[in-house]
Amino acid sequence: MTKKRLLRSVGGTLWPSFLTAAFASVVFFANIDPETLHMQTLPDWRISRMTGYAIGFFMFWGVGLASSIITFVLTDGGPREST
Amino acid sequence: MTRPEMPAEDAGMYVAREKIHPREVKGRFQNLRNLAVIVLLGIFYGLPWVQWDGRQAVLFDLPVRQFHIFGLTFWPQDFLYLALLLIIAALTLFFFTALAGRLWCGYACPQTVWTEAFIWMERWTEGNRQKRIKLDKSPWNREKVVRRGSKHLLWVLFALFTGVTFVGYFTPITELVGRAVSLDLGPWETFWLLFYGFATWGNAGFLREQVCIYMCPYARFQSAMFDRNTLIISYDEKRGEPRGGRPRGVEPRKRGLGDCIDCNLCVQACPTGIDIREGLQYECIACAACIDACDSVMDKMNYPRGLIRYSTENAMEGKKVRTLRPRVLVYGFLLLALITGVLVSLTQRTPLAVEVLADRNVIYREVDWETIENVYTVRILNKDRVSHAYTLTVEGLPGIEVITRSEQIRVGPGSTASEVARVRVPRDAVEGVGNPFRLIMQSVDDPSIRTVNNARFNAPSE
Repeated sequence: MTKKRLLRSVGGTLWPSFLTAAFASVVFFANIDPETLHMQTLPDWRISRMTGYAIGFFMFWGVGLASSIITFVLTDGGPREST
Repeated sequence: MTRPEMPAEDAGMYVAREKIHPREVKGRFQNLRNLAVIVLLGIFYGLPWVQWDGRQAVLFDLPVRQFHIFGLTFWPQDFLYLALLLIIAALTLFFFTALAGRLWCGYACPQTVWTEAFIWMERWTEGNRQKRIKLDKSPWNREKVVRRGSKHLLWVLFALFTGVTFVGYFTPITELVGRAVSLDLGPWETFWLLFYGFATWGNAGFLREQVCIYMCPYARFQSAMFDRNTLIISYDEKRGEPRGGRPRGVEPRKRGLGDCIDCNLCVQACPTGIDIREGLQYECIACAACIDACDSVMDKMNYPRGLIRYSTENAMEGKKVRTLRPRVLVYGFLLLALITGVLVSLTQRTPLAVEVLADRNVIYREVDWETIENVYTVRILNKDRVSHAYTLTVEGLPGIEVITRSEQIRVGPGSTASEVARVRVPRDAVEGVGNPFRLIMQSVDDPSIRTVNNARFNAPSE
């Protein structure tokens, strides 16, 4: 993998998924209180609201990143591509 | 998994980006941009320190889910305002882009503003463009270590200060700074402080124009807002070409030359490293540094200014320029309507929200031969910053009345309370289920704080 390709793979996956995750977190947590989710799913665990926000944000980021990586792998540098 | 060996020339084709050292220019547009940097960074770093009614004026309190913006407090229920605000911001961007091109990119984008601030620090420590290029090439001697070291020290301190300020929008900044100095921050504060500081440091110190060229989504679609009447930065090819050097005082036309003396200052001044004389390119962030550079040269040569200038495609081709065109009018009208709507609804906003839930277990109760009773749970959310006492009244059915545990319901600032409301109606006044009536909650101390909820009253059908 050339340096350029490496840079492009990072810039083309981490960054857009971060942007989307930030936006999705705002919309999601403006409407849903992590405290409510916590009480309805794992009430025995100790999860504060801030931890809830963080879990949500990193979950969105992870999902976006997975999608971006697959797009990158499928569109960039296929076996027949010459450049 | 093995990957086929890359051909040798492929690796060689990749030329590492050369660091762009934009030349310092002076002029009208540079003054404007300096002003923008000072005003915008002033707002960003100053706003968290402003106090209002004894608390931080702008504070996004995530742990309790309340946003304070000067006198107003926003709740998750007010999400609509946030959505509207984002739509207004986007429309404003479209409106100004259609009118005057990439104004946002050149003057107001945080990337541009912070990069400018970081370049100032670079200039103070490493000197002007020539000195910086020389320093890049020089071996690691004492001077280079001192200059580079002080630049990075300034950058890191400024980035950390930026991180503290950013976190200061989410947690009271006066306490935050105290705890940051004594290294006593919570895990989230530490994480976001370092994260934002690192992002500022990396984006403004190192990535710079690459953010605009490779990372910015807006840069990719902004051309959709452009038309032939949009202001762009353009080089007057007819006037400038053929370009070439000449001694001062020589009439260029006699030598068959245009007004461009090919001094290359416009290229050196460009923060994205393009040559504006090759026409409009998507790397151009419309910062107008090349205009300032060129104007200064035109002044020296005693040529008229504006060889590179703000212009439009139509103007460059000698056609008529229309400022008010459908695109601009539509964006402008939508913008005006939305802003008016938000302002009106903000002034009409009541700092009280009431939810009414009917008792699901008992449809109705016969109190005595004459009276039917329904029970409701009333949830009261006081969005105000002071506590209020409320009274509940009902209307809409003959002889309707309500009984609450106490005459007045007191709710603290930013708190919720639940109250059981027993609503009674004479038996001969209602029949069957779903008779509509209204519950009115009103503040005792401020009658303008008042909500009306619709509910349904159930009675036996004869």
